Amino acid sequence: MASVKLTKVKKVYDNNVVAVHDFDLDIKDKEFIVFVGPSGCGKSTTLRMIAGLEDISDGTVEIDGEVVNDLQPKDRNIAMVFQNYALYPHMTVFDNIAFSLRLQKMPEDQIYEKVTAAAEVLGITDYLLRKPRALSGGQRQRVAIGRAMVRNSKVFLMDEPLSNLDAKLRNQMRAEIILLRQKLNTTFIYVTHDQTEAMTLGDRIVIMKDGYIQQVGTPAEVFEMPKNLFVAEFIGAPKMNVMRTELKKDLNGGYTVSPFGVKLAVDGGKSEALAAKHAPTGEVLLGVRPEHITLAKEGQPGAIPCTVEVNEMMGSELHLHVVTEDGTRLIVRVPTIDLEPDQRHGLQRDSRLYITFRGKVMHFFDPESQENLLN
Amino acid sequence: MSNKRHMGLRASAHISNTLIYIVLVVMSVVWLIPFICIVLQSFRVESTWQVGYVIPQKWGWDNYVALWNSDFKRWYLNTFITALATAVGQTVFVLCMSYTLSRFRFKMRQGLMRFMLVLGMFPNMLAMIVLYRVLKDLGLTQANAVPGLILVYIASSGMGYYVSKGFFDTIPKSLDEAARVDGATRAQVLWKIILPLAKPIVIYTILTAFMAPWGDFVLARYISFGTSAGMNVAVGMYSWLQQDMIGQRYTMFCAGGVVVAIPVTILFMCLQKYYVEGVTGGAVKG
Amino acid sequence: MKKYNDLEYLRLSKGQKFLYRLVSFFAAIPVALKNGCLGIGRFFKNLAAAIGRELADIVLTFKNGDWKTRLSFLIMGFGSMARGQVLRGLLFLLFEAVFIFYMIMGGGHWMSLLSSLGRIGPHDEYSAVLDAYTKVYGDNSFKILLYGVLTIFFIIALVYTWRLNIKQNKIAEDILRSGKKLRSGKEDLKSMVDDQFHKTLLALPLTGIILFTVMPIIFMVLVAFTNYDGSHDGYNNALFTWVGLKNFRTMLTWSGSGVNYSATFGEILTWTLIWAFFATFTNYFLGMFVAMMINKKGIYLKKLWRTVLVLTIAIPQFISLLYVSKMFAKNGIVNGLLLDLGWITQAIDFMGSQAHNALLPRVMVILINIWVGIPYLMLITTGILMNIPADLYESSRIDGANAWQQYTKITLPYMLFITGPYLLTSFTNNINNFNVIYLLTGGAPTNAAASGAAGSVGYTDLLITWLFKITMGAESQYYMASVIGILVFLVVAIISLVVYNVLPSIKNEEDFQ
Repeated sequence: MASVKLTKVKKVYDNNVVAVHDFDLDIKDKEFIVFVGPSGCGKSTTLRMIAGLEDISDGTVEIDGEVVNDLQPKDRNIAMVFQNYALYPHMTVFDNIAFSLRLQKMPEDQIYEKVTAAAEVLGITDYLLRKPRALSGGQRQRVAIGRAMVRNSKVFLMDEPLSNLDAKLRNQMRAEIILLRQKLNTTFIYVTHDQTEAMTLGDRIVIMKDGYIQQVGTPAEVFEMPKNLFVAEFIGAPKMNVMRTELKKDLNGGYTVSPFGVKLAVDGGKSEALAAKHAPTGEVLLGVRPEHITLAKEGQPGAIPCTVEVNEMMGSELHLHVVTEDGTRLIVRVPTIDLEPDQRHGLQRDSRLYITFRGKVMHFFDPESQENLLN
Repeated sequence: MSNKRHMGLRASAHISNTLIYIVLVVMSVVWLIPFICIVLQSFRVESTWQVGYVIPQKWGWDNYVALWNSDFKRWYLNTFITALATAVGQTVFVLCMSYTLSRFRFKMRQGLMRFMLVLGMFPNMLAMIVLYRVLKDLGLTQANAVPGLILVYIASSGMGYYVSKGFFDTIPKSLDEAARVDGATRAQVLWKIILPLAKPIVIYTILTAFMAPWGDFVLARYISFGTSAGMNVAVGMYSWLQQDMIGQRYTMFCAGGVVVAIPVTILFMCLQKYYVEGVTGGAVKG
Repeated sequence: MKKYNDLEYLRLSKGQKFLYRLVSFFAAIPVALKNGCLGIGRFFKNLAAAIGRELADIVLTFKNGDWKTRLSFLIMGFGSMARGQVLRGLLFLLFEAVFIFYMIMGGGHWMSLLSSLGRIGPHDEYSAVLDAYTKVYGDNSFKILLYGVLTIFFIIALVYTWRLNIKQNKIAEDILRSGKKLRSGKEDLKSMVDDQFHKTLLALPLTGIILFTVMPIIFMVLVAFTNYDGSHDGYNNALFTWVGLKNFRTMLTWSGSGVNYSATFGEILTWTLIWAFFATFTNYFLGMFVAMMINKKGIYLKKLWRTVLVLTIAIPQFISLLYVSKMFAKNGIVNGLLLDLGWITQAIDFMGSQAHNALLPRVMVILINIWVGIPYLMLITTGILMNIPADLYESSRIDGANAWQQYTKITLPYMLFITGPYLLTSFTNNINNFNVIYLLTGGAPTNAAASGAAGSVGYTDLLITWLFKITMGAESQYYMASVIGILVFLVVAIISLVVYNVLPSIKNEEDFQ
């Protein structure tokens, strides 16, 4: 139940590698924040600096207004769940969960109550006397969460807690973490490399790359208004299609693009937005998400011809990997329900088809700085 | 065709297995013969000098009785006390060193390890000359050799950290971190988390530290310097096999060897599992 | 030389590839040397820069500091005490007091004599009371050298502590200026078991190593530059003194005739290296072979075979080695048995206590060392062999490899990679394998040709047993022993350095997992 504030936090390792550059972030009380990014982007390092497991090279970390830079982890009143669970192998589940309480010298009957209550919530009451190695991955995960739960700490840190689980269990635990969050009602900082986890769990998402924050925002913000090409490509699956094209102005002041020689109007309010930013004409990177591309008929205005290379049948939708006439590869995500019955199993390799997309789904990025033109 | 080939495989496996059994039996005999001989000769009564046969003509406990009446008792006690004290002290030192080098990242860590590596390249026999003189000044030589020996054994033992550091390295660091987040101090982490998990390596360290003094010869010889009261078994019994003594003491040496070997061997056999673990891990880690 | 890229290299024939690698290796040596020299240069440059920075910081601290800080330059720990950190301050002050006490009580005296190692030796002096000449003892060179070295250590420690004390003052001032509170003594004590726990843990072991390993080694290295021996023992007979590089010249100049140090050293070094090579690799391969035999599928009683071998580890080496050496003595069991069987008519001198045949005893010590070493190697390799992923063997069988190819292409490379560091340490340990040689042969048979110069040297003597014999011999030429010790160190260091740079598995400790 506390706010966390990071001001110009920096991490430089002994070999002068900078892992985190001037990290500024205000985390509000009871907020669920997710750090997401590819491996090596500094997200875990930042979390570990908040936990006190890593020295802070520069800047300050405040928890509840108190600078904690020089405090040991034990004095920061935090709880943490580790990627590999870090359960003490020589202790039973009960002792694992009770460990921190015993260190606080809490009376045994209180410990008993707290541990059994937590075990009840997590559904591990039957395993309290087992050692960790006799548990399955999901059960271990619950014990790790239980261990963090009983501490009543101000901040709850989770370092890729689901990445050691198989896909099905991961989905299940994800839902449970949402429930847990509602129950504990405390500040969460969650690290993951999986954008789906980030989108489903976070109140706000912090997207990182090479030690720099790329964007901070709600899931909807980062999806709809990615600050730069990296964020645009990182969030959303399959990833956004990017094509190089010319941004032009037509006679009545609206912008147009002509990817693959097919002229498309930038409609749906985007032209006005671009004009408001005084976006210059010329070369741009045009991004369109696969789910925003629709199939078109031959001869329809704005239809881009292409051929099918690979198709992946996902059940409810079909992922088509297509190649345009100039050799660019694009991914198109089509709901199967929109397809003709004979196309539902997928389209033949090399079969021709036409695609198109509307202006309101277009994203424009500067080819040099890769920043969103609408920033 | 395939059937025939199968038969061929099985037959060749049979032959090679038989060969292996023969080699193993021969090896076992070669490895055990010296120990069988030593036991048999320790019961030989008819003569005390070296003879060209193995089976005694007359059996008896004479050599063991003679042992009991000689300085051997003192040597044995000396060695036992040294071994016990060394086992305790050395284990503490080695664990302190190896845990620190495995878990803490401090400024001088790499330098310290490199320094100890270089230090280890000096033949330690060199140091003995000085140590002898220093211990002599402190009055810890000759009749008082036992405390002196213990001091020397323990003092530098921190340099033998490799094997246990290798073991500590295999315990995930996230356990330490989890415990620290849970509210443990570094000392509590060591005491409550790491040591219980490091039981095999603790036992290995105790075992090797306990066994070493039984076989140490050079340093013990320097420090006891000819005074029987300060000798350990190795130094004392070595003198029995020199030209002037071997005639009367050869069978006593055998008996002494048996008496020394029995407790050490039993202990070793009981804790063999840990020894194997330590030795294997140590070799892999270098 | 021409450099090939990867694709060009792949097109070379086997012989060309080998040649190319060989040439590249030697071509890399000058570069490595250059880099090494540059590295050393950089080190000293950095060192000088660091000292400069420290000095500047000290001056700055004095200039900007308050009176408490300034007084701490003289009275260590004063600032800490004045700012309420009594515990820290007291420790600093205590150290200073101990240092001053030590210097007054003798440290200064020893230091001042260090350059000459004593002025007045033992001599006869006329005593009016007894009306006779009596022997009077003067300085003690040994103590001067020993405590002189100790004093230098102490002074370095004092300088370091003094610097620490000044740094503490600066830090304390900065903290107070920023409006925060200083750590109390109680918090200091707490941090000893927490964030400063490593210092607590290292304190005792490091003190032990410094006093009982570093100090003696420095002392003995210094002895190599003196004439310390039995007749110059520094107190009873005569003082010893610095002689410069004389002993190294004696050891290393080749005078041509057989009886001199350099020839003897060369001979013993050659044998030491031969011994270390055979002792290491025979054990390694035979031990691996035994382990593979026992591990083989379809062999029963695995545990029994292992236990029989392991038994030899449990029994103290001095018993087994001494006993085995007596078994092979001229009147020992082996000869007795062979005579009884009528296979020989005359006892064989296996261990060469009398004969001057060098080869047989040398082969014998290597063979007996195999007997000693196989059990260890069997244990070590068993563990690693079982860890080789089974799918490597499965995929190689599908690729059509037979048992021998599997061994040479999979087992052996894997083993060599994993045990590379172990092989290196075991090689260097064998160079210094005192026990096996001394307990088995004591260096025998005597090498009459080499003995004149330096005590009795035998054909199976290693450098380390030679060193021991020199110190225990009648003349006790400690200075020569010390020179040999330094040379042994150089040999070991050079071998390690070369192997270190060749072995892939040794370079990075974190890479192992």
